[in-house]
Amino acid sequence: MSAAGSAPRLYWPAQRQRNRGVKGLLTVVAAFLALYAYLFPGLISVSGVAKFSQSWLPLVLVSMAQAILMLAGGVSLAIGAMVSLGAVIAATTMAGPLGVAGGAALVMVAGLVTGAACGIVVVRLGLPAIVVTLAASFIVGGAALLILPRPGGAIPAWLSDSLAGETPVAALLVILAVVLWKLYLATPLGLSLYAAGENSVAAYRAGVPVDSARIAAYAVSGLLSTCAGLFVAAQTGSGDPVIGEAFTLNSIAAAVLGGVGFLGGRGAMRGAVAGSLLLSVMINVMYFLGFPPVAHYIAQGLIIVGAVALPEFTARRSSP
Amino acid sequence: MTPAPTLAARGVSKSFFGNPVLRDVSIALHPGRIHALLGENGAGKSTLINILSGALLPDEGVVEIDGRSFRGLNPRDAHRAGVAVVQQELGLTSQLSIAENIGLGALPRRYGLIDYRCLARRARAAMDLVGLDEDLATPVGDLPLGRRQMVEIAKALFREPRVLILDEPTSSLSAHEVETLTSLLDRLCAKNVAILYISHRLNEIMRVCQHVTVLKDGVVTADRSIEGVEAADLVRLMVGRDTGHLFPAWTPTTDRDPIVSVSGLSAGVLRNIDISIRRGEVLGVGGLVGQGQEDLLLSLYGALPASARTAEFNGRAKLPSSVRKANALGLAYVPADRKREGLHLIHNIGWNLMLPSFARAFGLSLRDRTKERALASALADRFTIKGDLTRQVQALSGGNQQKVALAKWTPAEPQVLLLNDPTRGVDVETKREIYALLRRLAGEGKAIVLSSSDTPELVHLCDRVAVMREGRIVATIEREALSEEAIVAASMGADLMRTAA
Repeated sequence: MSAAGSAPRLYWPAQRQRNRGVKGLLTVVAAFLALYAYLFPGLISVSGVAKFSQSWLPLVLVSMAQAILMLAGGVSLAIGAMVSLGAVIAATTMAGPLGVAGGAALVMVAGLVTGAACGIVVVRLGLPAIVVTLAASFIVGGAALLILPRPGGAIPAWLSDSLAGETPVAALLVILAVVLWKLYLATPLGLSLYAAGENSVAAYRAGVPVDSARIAAYAVSGLLSTCAGLFVAAQTGSGDPVIGEAFTLNSIAAAVLGGVGFLGGRGAMRGAVAGSLLLSVMINVMYFLGFPPVAHYIAQGLIIVGAVALPEFTARRSSP
Repeated sequence: MTPAPTLAARGVSKSFFGNPVLRDVSIALHPGRIHALLGENGAGKSTLINILSGALLPDEGVVEIDGRSFRGLNPRDAHRAGVAVVQQELGLTSQLSIAENIGLGALPRRYGLIDYRCLARRARAAMDLVGLDEDLATPVGDLPLGRRQMVEIAKALFREPRVLILDEPTSSLSAHEVETLTSLLDRLCAKNVAILYISHRLNEIMRVCQHVTVLKDGVVTADRSIEGVEAADLVRLMVGRDTGHLFPAWTPTTDRDPIVSVSGLSAGVLRNIDISIRRGEVLGVGGLVGQGQEDLLLSLYGALPASARTAEFNGRAKLPSSVRKANALGLAYVPADRKREGLHLIHNIGWNLMLPSFARAFGLSLRDRTKERALASALADRFTIKGDLTRQVQALSGGNQQKVALAKWTPAEPQVLLLNDPTRGVDVETKREIYALLRRLAGEGKAIVLSSSDTPELVHLCDRVAVMREGRIVATIEREALSEEAIVAASMGADLMRTAA
C-alpha cells in the first residue's frame, strides 16, 4: 500500500493486519452461526437476536475481562467471584434507597476498586498474578457470600425487562463494549498493554508507563466482570452469591480459543470475542442437534485443544 | 575541547554482588562526534550504557547532562534530556505495527487518544531516515531480524535525540543496511548529535568513529582520538590480564587420534561446520558471546536437531539423535547455566551426584542406598566438594555447585566431555581446581571440548582453539600460535595490519 496524499494511512491498515490471526476462527464462527440459523430459523428475528445475545453477553464480558489481563501478561482466577460480587451488589441495592442508578454505580466502583487492588498487589509487590487472583477469588467470593448468604434480593422488574426482555438491548451492549475497547486501545495507556505484556523490561526502558498500563488493565477487567454480574442478576431477577463460578474457566477458554496467549502480548481482543461467540453458539447448536445438555463440555474441551494445537502444527510444518 | 559534553560519566564505579564491574570510569560524549566504546565480553560496556541511560544507578560517581550532574538518573529523565539507546537485544512488540512500535513511550496524542495521523507522518519520517520502506502498518513480528534492528534505530530517532547510544547496532544487519546506517550517523553528526557506538567489528569502528574509549575489566585503558591508531593497538588494549599461577603446567599429549569427527554440521545457527576432537586434548571453542558455541556443543550432544554430511562418534558413523544415545556413546555435557540446566537446586548434593546414574539404571530396578552413599561420598572427596551431602545444592557456593555439576558425570566414565563456560561465576580457587582436573582428564586420554568466554583460559589450557563467528568456525589456532590477541582478532574478524584511515 502506498502512502496516498500527505498523511499516510495507519489506523485502519494496522487494524486489518490484526485480523490475520483470527481469520480461521472467524470462518469457523460464521459456519457455526449459519448452522445455528439453519437449525433454528427463529434466530433471524428481533426476539431471536435478543435471546441469543442475552445468553452471550455475560460470557463476552468476562472473556474480554480475561483477555485484557492475558494481553498484559497476567491472568485472573477471580473473574467468577467478581461476577458473583456484581450480582449480589445489584440485587441488594437496586430495589433499595440507592435505586438503579446508585446500585449500578456501586457495582462499577466495586469492580474498578477490587480489580485495581489486585493489580497493585501484582505489579507493585511483584507477586505472581495466578496466586494473587486465586487469593482474590476466595476473598471476593467470601465477600459476596457475606453480602447475600443465600440467593435472594431483587432487581426492579422494569430493568430485567429492558435488559433481558424481548428487545435486543444486550446486542447493543456487546457493540458498546467493543466500541469502548477500541477507544481504550486508541489511548497510549491501552496500546502500552501489548508492550508491557510482551517485554516489560524493554517497554520500561523505552519510557512506556508499564506499571500504570498493567494496573489499569486489572481495574478495567474488574469493571467488566462486575458488570457481567449485574446483567446476570437482571436476567434472573435476583442475586446468587455463587452464580459466577463457571465464568472463571469459561473466560480463559474463550480467550485461549481466540488465540490470546498466556505469555502476554499475543493475540487480539477480537479473537477473545469471537471465541466466546463460538462457545455460546456451540452450546445452542448441540442442543438443537439433540445432544444431551452436558455433552457440550466434552466438545468445548476438544475444540480448545484443537484450537491451540492447530497453529502449532502449521507453524512446525512451515518452518524448515 | 571548549563546549561541555552533552552526556558524561565522571568517576563511575559499579559492582554486582561484591564483584566490581566498573572502576572509576569516565567518558564524555561531545556533540557532533561519533565515539566508539570497545571492550571484550564482560569488560563492563553494557553496565556503562545502562548507567548513562539511567537504567542503572552507579555506586559512585555521577552522570552529567549538559554539565549538570544527576545523582538518581532514571530512564524517564534521560529520555526527557534527549538520550536515546538502541539496545542490543531487541525490545519491540511483535503484534503492534512498525509505526506503533516506533512511537511507543512517546506517542503523540490528541484529546487523550493517540493521534494516528501525526504518528504516521512522524514515524514515516523516521523510517525514511534509516531506509525502511515497509508499510507503516506491518506488524513488527513479520520483519526479519535486520529490519527489526532498523525499526529499533528508527524508534530512537523518532524522539529526536541529542545523544544516541547504539549497542552493537550492526550485529544483525546486512552490508547494505550497514552502509545506510553509516551515512545516517554522518548526517546526525553534522546535526550536532552526540553518538556512542559499540561494536565488535573493529574495521567498522575505524571507518565510522572519531574517538575511542577502551574498557578492560571495568577500567578505561584508552580514551583518545582514533586517528593514527592501528587495529592491533586496540586489540592489545582490550586483552592482557594477569593470570598469576592459575593454570597448571602441562605438556601436550601425544596420543592424538580423533574420537569424534564431523563435517558439514548444521544446526540452530551453525552453518557447515567441520570439527574433529582428539583423544587426550582440550579443544577450546572461543569467540564473542552467542556466535553458536552453545549450539555446537548441544548438537554434538544430541540435544539439538542437527544434520551432518559425515559424522563419526567413537567408531559409530552417525550423529547422536538424543541425549541418551550421546551418553551411551560416551559423551557428557556440562551446561553454562548450572542453576537452570545443570543442577536440581532444591535437591540435595547426593541426589544430584547420582542423577546420571539413575538415568542409566534399568527401568524399575531398586536403588541400592548403601552403594549410592559410598559412591557419592567418594565423588565428593575426589572433587573436594565441601559440605554435608544431604544439604540442598542451592546452599553451596557457585564454585562448589560447578564441581557437583562436573562430578556427577564421572561415574559414567565419559570419553568426551563437552563443557560450556565451566568457570563462569566461579571463585579463583575453584577455577584452579577445575583447570587442574581438566588437564588431568586429558592426560588420561579423555577428549575435552571447552567453550569459554574467558580468553586467558583458552590460551593457557587448550591444545587448539576453534574461534566461532556468526555460526561458523572462522579459525582454528594451534597451540604454537595461541595468544589472546590472536583469538580476539579472529573473533572480531579484524585484519591486524589495518590502520585507521
